[in-house]
Amino acid sequence: MNRARTALLTAAGTLLLLAAMEAAGRLGVLGESWPPLSQVVAALGDPVTRDLLGRALAATATAAGTGFAAGALAALAVAVTGVLLPVLKAGLDRLAAVVHAVPLIALGPLLITTVGREGTPSVIAALAAGFAVFVAATSGLGAASEAHRDVFRALGASRRSTLVRLQLPAAVPLLLDGLALAAPAAVLGAVVGDWFGAPRGLGVLLVSSMQNFQTELMWSAALSAAAISLLAYAALAGLRTAAARRFA
Amino acid sequence: MNGRAPQHGTRALHATGRLLSRYWTVLALVAAWGAWVRTQHLNQIVAPTPAAVFGDVLDNPGAYAPDLGWTLLNAAVGVALGMLLGLAGALLVWTSPVLSGLMTPMALIMRSVPVVAMIPVIARVVGFGTAAVLTITTVVSFFPVFVLAGSGLRAAPAATRDVFTVLAASGLTRLRLLLLPGAVPALLVALRLTAPTAVLAAMLAEYLLGTHGLGQLFARSVTFMDPARAWGTALVATVVSVLCFVGARAAERQGTARFT
Repeated sequence: MNRARTALLTAAGTLLLLAAMEAAGRLGVLGESWPPLSQVVAALGDPVTRDLLGRALAATATAAGTGFAAGALAALAVAVTGVLLPVLKAGLDRLAAVVHAVPLIALGPLLITTVGREGTPSVIAALAAGFAVFVAATSGLGAASEAHRDVFRALGASRRSTLVRLQLPAAVPLLLDGLALAAPAAVLGAVVGDWFGAPRGLGVLLVSSMQNFQTELMWSAALSAAAISLLAYAALAGLRTAAARRFA
Repeated sequence: MNGRAPQHGTRALHATGRLLSRYWTVLALVAAWGAWVRTQHLNQIVAPTPAAVFGDVLDNPGAYAPDLGWTLLNAAVGVALGMLLGLAGALLVWTSPVLSGLMTPMALIMRSVPVVAMIPVIARVVGFGTAAVLTITTVVSFFPVFVLAGSGLRAAPAATRDVFTVLAASGLTRLRLLLLPGAVPALLVALRLTAPTAVLAAMLAEYLLGTHGLGQLFARSVTFMDPARAWGTALVATVVSVLCFVGARAAERQGTARFT
């Protein structure tokens, strides 16, 4: 009963949000640049717009996806290195924090000279996603209970077998949490990466349509970026709920 | 560090050792950057040496200070507004379970939509210039505060809540004496999350929209082929963002110790 009520309220909240966006556009309270939602959707009926948006969406999704995968793997590798060689751990933590603090715009020119305009969005996506995964992986690998650790120590388990048989399984729920948070970060990284002169992508479309007063196109690009990160987040968060039951 | 004289030497040695064990990776990064520029024989326009960048920042602090101050002001005002609005929103939702259910999609959106990517949309709607930069820093800090303050308000232990119920405390008293102090740690966590992000979001907006500030200084330096200044801007922004994080974390530790 209670769960049904929550679901009902959530659905009502979503509808209310969409209705508010539509109403704000119809009434023009936020000016010309806030069109009604229905007008944005109707603009997708035009095959040229749809084609343009589709290509941009594919480019951004690819960049975000490869960045996500590469960033997550690299972050996991670094976190595991920290566990296997504890001497390095403090330094690796600081490195992650500093790399995360480097402003995205500062990376633009550097990446364009090193990996080129095409590669920049996926590298920024990898950096953004990698940090979220790294933080989750570090705390996940430390999440095994003290009692379990004592058992492994008493039985004389090596650092490697403790990692494989205790720490990695214990890290799964937190790791999936980190992956869920990393998905929107990867989409953001890919969009921001587009702003440094990538040939195509949602970020390019956002800025060019902003400059050319193509309000519907701008909104459809923005809503597409929001939709892919929402879907990726929801999928990973669902996986996390399933895994939490298995690994709890 | 008020160590007694005989221990002074070993203590300094220890401190250096600790600093090295924590920051060797950062030093290695700078060394790798220097080596990369030297071995690849890169033109200074493509990539300046660390010495050139650090030198430019240390020799011309006056060139960075006004823009840095403006960016920090934008970020600080945005964070302050975002925290106020976020807390107000959380209080509003706290008063009614129906409202709180209706707001669940908002919480999901906060976790999953890349707000910073919406800078072009926000600029188009509120107009280019400082208003857009402030809106972005406000929105970036609003969502975490809203969600975390909301859970902070609900975090009061059941036993203490019962005491207030037994004593027939009014809603306002309960809020003032129990719930708001209980929400302070959550607010401080939100501050730690948003402070560095707000600085970076302000820079990105300045870069894209060409308003004053570090982001614009960066764009200008790139356009006028002054790589030492451009990389210097990045260095200043990195240091400032790390300092914001460190400061907010210190505030969080102090506050958590005081309020729990």
